[in-house]
Amino acid sequence: MSIQSVAEEPELATREELMDAVHRLLGERVVGTEEHLNAPAVIIAPDTVVEVLGLLRTELGFDHLSCVTAEEHPDRFETVYHLTSYDARTRELSVVVPTASDDPHSQSAASVFHTADWHEREAYDLIGITYDDHPDLRRILLPETWVGHPLSRSYDQQQPQIVTLKEWENPLAEDHRAAEGDTMYINIGPHHPATHGVLHVKTVLDGEQVADIDPDIGYLHRCEEQMCQTKTYRHQIMPYPDRWDYASSGLLNEWAYARAAEDLNDIEVPEYAQVIRTLGAEVCRIASHMLAVGTFALDVYGDFTAIFMYAMRDREKAQKILEELTGQRMMFNYFRLGGVVWDLPEPRAEFFALIREFLDELPQALQEYHDLISGNEILQLRTVDTGVLPAEVAKSYGATGPVARGSGIDYDLRRDDPYGYYPNLDWDVVTEPDGDNYSRLLVRMGEVEQSARIIDQCVTLLEEWPEDDREIQSNVPRTLRPEDGAEIYRAVEGAKGELGIYIRADGTDKPGRFKIRSPCFSNLQTLPEMSQGEYIPDMIASLGSLDIVLGEVDR
Amino acid sequence: MTTAQALLPETIAGLLGIGGTTGIVIGSLLGAFLIANLLLINTAVAGPWAKRKITAAFTDRIAVNRIGPFGLLVIVADAVRLLSKELIVPEDVDRPAWDIAPLIIPFSALLGFAVIPMGSGVHLADPETGLVFAFAAASIASVGLIMLGYASNNKFSLLGGLRAVAANIAYEIPLIIVAASVVLFTGSLQMSEIVAQQAAPLLTVAGVTIPQWFIFVNPFAFVLFVVANIAEVGRNPFDIPEAPTEIVAGYQTEYSSVYFVLIYLGEFIHIFLGGAIIATLFLGGPAGPVLPGIVWFLIKIWAFFLFTQWARSAIPRLRVDQFLDIGWKGLLVLAFANLVLTAAIVGVIA
Repeated sequence: MSIQSVAEEPELATREELMDAVHRLLGERVVGTEEHLNAPAVIIAPDTVVEVLGLLRTELGFDHLSCVTAEEHPDRFETVYHLTSYDARTRELSVVVPTASDDPHSQSAASVFHTADWHEREAYDLIGITYDDHPDLRRILLPETWVGHPLSRSYDQQQPQIVTLKEWENPLAEDHRAAEGDTMYINIGPHHPATHGVLHVKTVLDGEQVADIDPDIGYLHRCEEQMCQTKTYRHQIMPYPDRWDYASSGLLNEWAYARAAEDLNDIEVPEYAQVIRTLGAEVCRIASHMLAVGTFALDVYGDFTAIFMYAMRDREKAQKILEELTGQRMMFNYFRLGGVVWDLPEPRAEFFALIREFLDELPQALQEYHDLISGNEILQLRTVDTGVLPAEVAKSYGATGPVARGSGIDYDLRRDDPYGYYPNLDWDVVTEPDGDNYSRLLVRMGEVEQSARIIDQCVTLLEEWPEDDREIQSNVPRTLRPEDGAEIYRAVEGAKGELGIYIRADGTDKPGRFKIRSPCFSNLQTLPEMSQGEYIPDMIASLGSLDIVLGEVDR
Repeated sequence: MTTAQALLPETIAGLLGIGGTTGIVIGSLLGAFLIANLLLINTAVAGPWAKRKITAAFTDRIAVNRIGPFGLLVIVADAVRLLSKELIVPEDVDRPAWDIAPLIIPFSALLGFAVIPMGSGVHLADPETGLVFAFAAASIASVGLIMLGYASNNKFSLLGGLRAVAANIAYEIPLIIVAASVVLFTGSLQMSEIVAQQAAPLLTVAGVTIPQWFIFVNPFAFVLFVVANIAEVGRNPFDIPEAPTEIVAGYQTEYSSVYFVLIYLGEFIHIFLGGAIIATLFLGGPAGPVLPGIVWFLIKIWAFFLFTQWARSAIPRLRVDQFLDIGWKGLLVLAFANLVLTAAIVGVIA
């Protein structure tokens, strides 16, 4: 296997050696090179995308297409494929594909990486690049009737989008009844009890079994990327990440922006602030996983049962800690570039006691969950071997987080691309080999335990932290103006997976391009793989086990 | 409780002093009215109030407590709320069926109560085929369910209706076969006779006489019957026809206002009818110490209601294929085994 051969070649550790290998492999196909802050970049011609990505994937082990960013420069369109590897996350490579600005055409990468399918649809929708040989190049976030591509330079924001009701795609209008078919078309959502928000799953049923599904997203699209592009780095962007994955993982989202912007502006974060960040982020992760476990149980049980309320009760305790720490229950706005906004609440002893109490009660609560859900025979009957996502398929779709770890992929950014205080702490990455709905449930429950371990160590550290060394923010200039043309893609391990931020600076105090790589977006793409041929209830359970938050999918 | 006790129509006719056929007809109508109202009162308590309180107790919540003592007046508030909502009639519904179906469901369940001996003389009719009548009346609901599902012109309703019928067929057969094993003991389908036979002492332990309730005689049949009954009334873990997270609300997706109330009413009366049949077949009907028969009877059907709510709060739902597997491959086989075994034992003893 090529992946192993790469691992045996220690010289690939530095950028120069990586680029040498890439040049040897690609030869003439490399048109030029760039340096991004996170990775070296190769520029290739738009008709060699499949070839180049295929070679990089098979020969150099770049098996994870983390993100696809598209943007328009004054003289050209650009698609940037952010490649990395599930086995070595820090080995990154950007593949830049420039296309002409009058008629932007580029080859689609969907035949190499499944995940490119949706990412390129988004690029087409928002920027306007056309991807040749794409399996299904439609708009994804905006309605089909939209005129123009909002993030392109020629787009006129003043032009109102007037669409009559009749023009709107009305899913009820067609009956989708084939003259001699046995299948039935049914709209699950956007108003449905189990879609976790406004998701529309176009489903074709064969009896009770799913013959084909197509998740239709974009109902909650709020132009988050565009909004971040109109705000300054220093303070104005930070409130927005809280609103992506709004189901209690606000601090994890804030960290994604903080990490990208800090690396872009070369800002150091004091250790003390890193410990507080780590503490807060892990409490968020517990709260988020509690909600995931509770709603998954709700999807399988079918009613607001005991387990849902128990999960909400324990999430409430985590929420209480976050409220004490940040002053907010959901929209925290607690991180700042270079640290956090304020120190732990006084009296500190009470705050520590609150966390310790939560940690002490947690094992008992988890035992209760295991008794009620993971140990329940009917639940096992329902979830074991349903919604199976094999590891290779998961990788091709760019699945990350508990979804990937439930498929046995040992991949966690906190360990593989270390940031914060995680490298100094003692914890484990939880994986389950089977890739079914049950595995994803077990992974989340295991991660709650691991997060509790991390929190416990953080509290111990904070308790003993010397009083004269509590620096919560480093010295950051009032206005940040990163160098024109600097590009960075940085990700953190969010509750749902790899939450990445791509920023291209344009010399002003606002980002030239701000792109969010949402883990839910990539994870949701695996739903058709999981539910083909399964019963409707299993499709619903799979959807629940993906733990999507539509605010993050649609952004 | 003996067969000698007068039935409710005769009692009423006697009280009114009207004899002959006229008396029986008037007495029957009044009696039916009284029993129906008794059940509707129970349902009113169970639906808007008790169900919420019970579920809340299971899930560490408080539930309704704002209006009246223990929030009891929420029953009135809910009745006003539900009845004053707009009755939305979707386009292209199959009109007479769409209107008739919500009536069939509660009335089929009420009809079943006609033959149930509820103790203290509350017993409307006592035909020799009482047990068969109760099952037949309860089964009419299946027709109502498929009408709901088909007439709504909604795909979720259609799926729900089909699931309901599949469930009823799969679980009605084991239900009746288990009931037949009780009939083997009694040798009669008459409800009063079944109750009377259970009054006989089974054995005496330390001065306490244990009656010959069929739950003690054949606990295996009791368990089978309760399981099949929960499936029959569509409660967790067998609430496949409604399955809120899968097919929205199944056959009742398109219904609102009065029709919604009628469907819900029907479901609750069905739970109570299920409890009534269990009580009659296995728990000695209205029999019990100290308290009057009707009180014991209500306690028993409420116990079954409580049991369904417990299951609802704690047990996950099966998938539709697993559900049918359990019905056809599990319960049906066990029900027949129980019938054959009981027949053999009864044959040997007799």
